[in-house]
Amino acid sequence: MVNPVLLIAVPLGLAFALPLFGFISKRIEKFIPVLGMSFNLVISLLLIPKAMENPIIVSIGGGKPPFYINLVAGPVGILFSLIIAVVGLLVSIYSLSYIKKGATEKYHMLYLFLLVGATGVVLTGDIFNLFVFWEILCISSYALVAYTGEKSGVESAMKYLIQGAIGSSLLLIGIGMLYGLFGTLNMADIAQNIDSVSSISIFVPLVFIITGLGVEAAVFPLNAWLPDAHSAAPSSISAILSGLAIEVGVYAIARVVFTIFGAESFFLFLCFLGLLTLLIGEMSAFSQNNLKRMLAYSSIGQIGLIVFALGIATSYGVAGGLFQIISHSLSKALLFLSVGYIIYRTSSMDISSFEGIGKKMPITSLAFTIGAFSLIGFPPFVGFPSKFLIVQAALAKGEILFVVFIAFILIGTVIEAAYFFRVVQAIYFKKEKNNSEKKEAPIAAIIPMFILALLIIGIGVYPKLVTDILDSAASEFLKRADFIRGILG
Amino acid sequence: MIDFLSHYIYYIGAFGLIFIGIFIILVKHNLIKVIIGISILDTGVNLFLISVGYISDGTAPIFSSPDMKAENMVDPVPQALVLTAIVIGVAVLALALSLAIKLYKHYGTLNLRKIKEMKW
Repeated sequence: MVNPVLLIAVPLGLAFALPLFGFISKRIEKFIPVLGMSFNLVISLLLIPKAMENPIIVSIGGGKPPFYINLVAGPVGILFSLIIAVVGLLVSIYSLSYIKKGATEKYHMLYLFLLVGATGVVLTGDIFNLFVFWEILCISSYALVAYTGEKSGVESAMKYLIQGAIGSSLLLIGIGMLYGLFGTLNMADIAQNIDSVSSISIFVPLVFIITGLGVEAAVFPLNAWLPDAHSAAPSSISAILSGLAIEVGVYAIARVVFTIFGAESFFLFLCFLGLLTLLIGEMSAFSQNNLKRMLAYSSIGQIGLIVFALGIATSYGVAGGLFQIISHSLSKALLFLSVGYIIYRTSSMDISSFEGIGKKMPITSLAFTIGAFSLIGFPPFVGFPSKFLIVQAALAKGEILFVVFIAFILIGTVIEAAYFFRVVQAIYFKKEKNNSEKKEAPIAAIIPMFILALLIIGIGVYPKLVTDILDSAASEFLKRADFIRGILG
Repeated sequence: MIDFLSHYIYYIGAFGLIFIGIFIILVKHNLIKVIIGISILDTGVNLFLISVGYISDGTAPIFSSPDMKAENMVDPVPQALVLTAIVIGVAVLALALSLAIKLYKHYGTLNLRKIKEMKW
């Protein structure tokens, strides 16, 4: 059997060895992330059938849980590591041609660290280990946002770093309180004993942890860094931050709320928070003229939708939320990748400078359109089944409150459609003002866009591809007792 | 009162440092001071973690002689956590300072009031 530890160990080893490869030849450095992520993709695919039956528990150090650090590769962990591997692989192929200037070996190294951190967060079964991988993810993303070394990049990285550092400290305080209460750091062990203490002493660490994680997950009052950081970073990094990093944050929140605390009274608050995040994000996106900033705000909106869906807390709702995570990762990665080259060619982020680009760069424009339509939720793209599942789950709840919530979500979707149509209209139906030469994106950028578009349409037409793993992932979140028994035996 | 203080003095100190750190980050305009605030916040969190596992008059968790008892030893796990947290804190601080140098090269100032290229 393949060991899930390899998902973390091999890319981590490659990341540290990357400068050494540079001694052999400067040209092979940039292929190392491609190598590492294709390895992760293969391993994740191999692990799926086994993880669907029983979560694979690996103890680092050899002892039985709750002692020693352990990894839990259940359906949720494998689903997320698969998403990370797919998007990470495609973006690393894109970076082959996109990243030319600056300290490229540092870029590729940090890029691998970011993905290792993300994979570690979703696979670990130990809450302090989660914090360590979380910091690997955060620190490498601070550095990557500032990669270009331009004014805006450095400034937004600084903002991101300050807010992220406060968030991490709050998370660590929460973890310390949990350790003080239970004397253990194993998630399953904490979850087993959570009912043995009074609810007020649980509430304080829960608030600390959720606030800490919420900074990275960009939940509403804590997301001031996101529009700056996502728009100032190089486009390949924006794709990763938007497509993976904030989803990993949402995963961590879901893991804490569902598995560790089982906080049922918290779910409605989560719904409300999600709805607020959605509306604020979509309305701010509508008023933007800078395209990357618009996409960043749209990410906030989508995160709101995911949090809302997780807060419904029925098996349909959680499956819908996870489906929306898949859909958002693929669509937003595609959008940022296509926008990256459009910006590169026009050297402007303003929407009005994109007029008439549809004739000059037909493939890239088509990729953008597919991503936009998928995010809005048109069939046959992947955004349609995921949004449909969320609406269905909320209506199946049968409460008048959730019908009102759904009405607001549909309003949010209409706003989303409005601002994306504005861009698509500018791309295809407006005449270019100053006629200049603009080439199509190079082949190394076309291939990942093509594969992402193929995945978006493929899963959209045939959602059965992912529904099995989504269902078992949802039941891993909702059936705490099974999860605890699976780990502690 | 004294009893209460002697029991909780470490927690009071830890949260005092945490609040001082957050206060500095929120209020100060000089970037270096903000970074110092992050450092104080980190120190507070580390002190908090240590005091979670502390026993008064406890010894180090090493069985140096056969008649030592585990009850008198402090918990070693928070110390391991703090060691990790210190390393992470150093990485964050180093990155923050290098970004501050870059920022100074671009703007010629470290005053956060004057560094506002981007707004909401």
